[in-house]
Amino acid sequence: SSAGYDRHITIFSPEGRLYQVEYAFKAISNSGITTVGVRGQDSVVIVTQKKIPVYPSTVTHIFQLTPYVGCVMTGLIADARAQVTRARQEAADYRYKFGYEISTDMLAKRVANINQVYTQHAAMRPLGVSMILIGYDEERGPQLFKCDPAGYYVGYKATAAGAKQQESLNHLEKKLKKDPDLNFEDTVELAINTLSSVLAADFKATEIEVAIVTREDPKFRTLSVAEIETHLQRIVEKD
Amino acid sequence: MSDRYSFSLTTFSPSGKLVQIEYALNAVAQGVTSIGIKATNGIVIATEKKTASPLIDDSSLEKVANVCPNIGIVYSGMGPDFRVLLTKARKSAQKYKRIYNEYPPTGILVKEVASVMQEFTQSGGVRPFGVSLLIAGYDETGPALYQVDPSGSYWAWKASAIGKNMVNAKTFLEKRYNDDMEIEDAVHTSILTLKEGFEGQMTENSIEIGIIGGDATGFTEGKQQPLFRKLTPSEVKDYLANIA
Repeated sequence: SSAGYDRHITIFSPEGRLYQVEYAFKAISNSGITTVGVRGQDSVVIVTQKKIPVYPSTVTHIFQLTPYVGCVMTGLIADARAQVTRARQEAADYRYKFGYEISTDMLAKRVANINQVYTQHAAMRPLGVSMILIGYDEERGPQLFKCDPAGYYVGYKATAAGAKQQESLNHLEKKLKKDPDLNFEDTVELAINTLSSVLAADFKATEIEVAIVTREDPKFRTLSVAEIETHLQRIVEKD
Repeated sequence: MSDRYSFSLTTFSPSGKLVQIEYALNAVAQGVTSIGIKATNGIVIATEKKTASPLIDDSSLEKVANVCPNIGIVYSGMGPDFRVLLTKARKSAQKYKRIYNEYPPTGILVKEVASVMQEFTQSGGVRPFGVSLLIAGYDETGPALYQVDPSGSYWAWKASAIGKNMVNAKTFLEKRYNDDMEIEDAVHTSILTLKEGFEGQMTENSIEIGIIGGDATGFTEGKQQPLFRKLTPSEVKDYLANIA
């Protein structure tokens, strides 16, 4: 039972819930795309659908935040650009202040702390986006984090966001139940297969976007269509 | 560009209640249970680490945290709100140290954190924090355990529980607690108390325990003194084996 403005701004409802935050989550599932991230032994991979007819190169949900940390955004694309811009700013400030690049977990924490502020101050609404960050840390190895509108963030072995989030998570839980050691190819395969399986579709290389960081090459980069094609081919041949 | 509301969102209802604070307490009551127990020679604080999915890397989540070498903290309620208070508590401890060249006594630190929480029940355009805190510290007067609520009120406890199972846990603690408990017994009791409301299997990775005093000492600031630290998973495993 709502007692006034609790559905319009981020104040508590009688049950102790924040409706605006919950509605922000709904905006993410209504976005129409699903994104998946998987962390392997020495690499991290993020995959997302690419659903556009024209000017493909400008329509992307994958963004680079620093030379070594990148992200995939799910939800309202305008809010996504705002959060990416802010995250890039925070990372750059860190580099300037401290003299070394920010790590994935610290950047995730910074983004999450900013999201928390929006859940507590009525003047600003929570953003309708989920940010999945990946990076390769010298000391901690491959890292995968997700930040959501509630201001929550945590590290993952694998995660998903968007329309088919729950189905993807179920699929990933099953596949990672035995805690397998995934090499780079297996990691990419698991990520792509999860997306194929929950969307019941076989992708062409132009229909998905993939980005990676690996131990050999810790710089964040997106795969070209040709590289995606190679991975898809390998997956098909395996069957 | 005015990005602040100039009026408070937490206002009195006709019956004289501050309903936003009551709702915040409801949010805390939905959170996972946390326990704190004061012993003669130290304090234990503990909580369940309930992750929503086996895909989560639980080493990235820290619920029992240290504020400064002699003070530790745990929460029940909204994780993101806790992060804010933890940062403020840590900054406050460092500010105190800059002035007095020693870390704050527990009561002083608690007062600062509580005062922040109270501000958010009265300032313009903000909501109260959806967390209750258990703050454990060891200072010149000995061990002290405090609970702070979303309203900003705080009390010292001998033993307390917050979160989902707090009523049953407190009843359990009332029966089990005695003033002569030492820290080993207190750890043991806190695990038993958590077990009462625990859903699923309790393992060394699904609970977090922090202690100060007793064995938890260290050399810092030029002398050997009680230091807050978290139990390692293998230490927790040993305790769990003893209650089986």
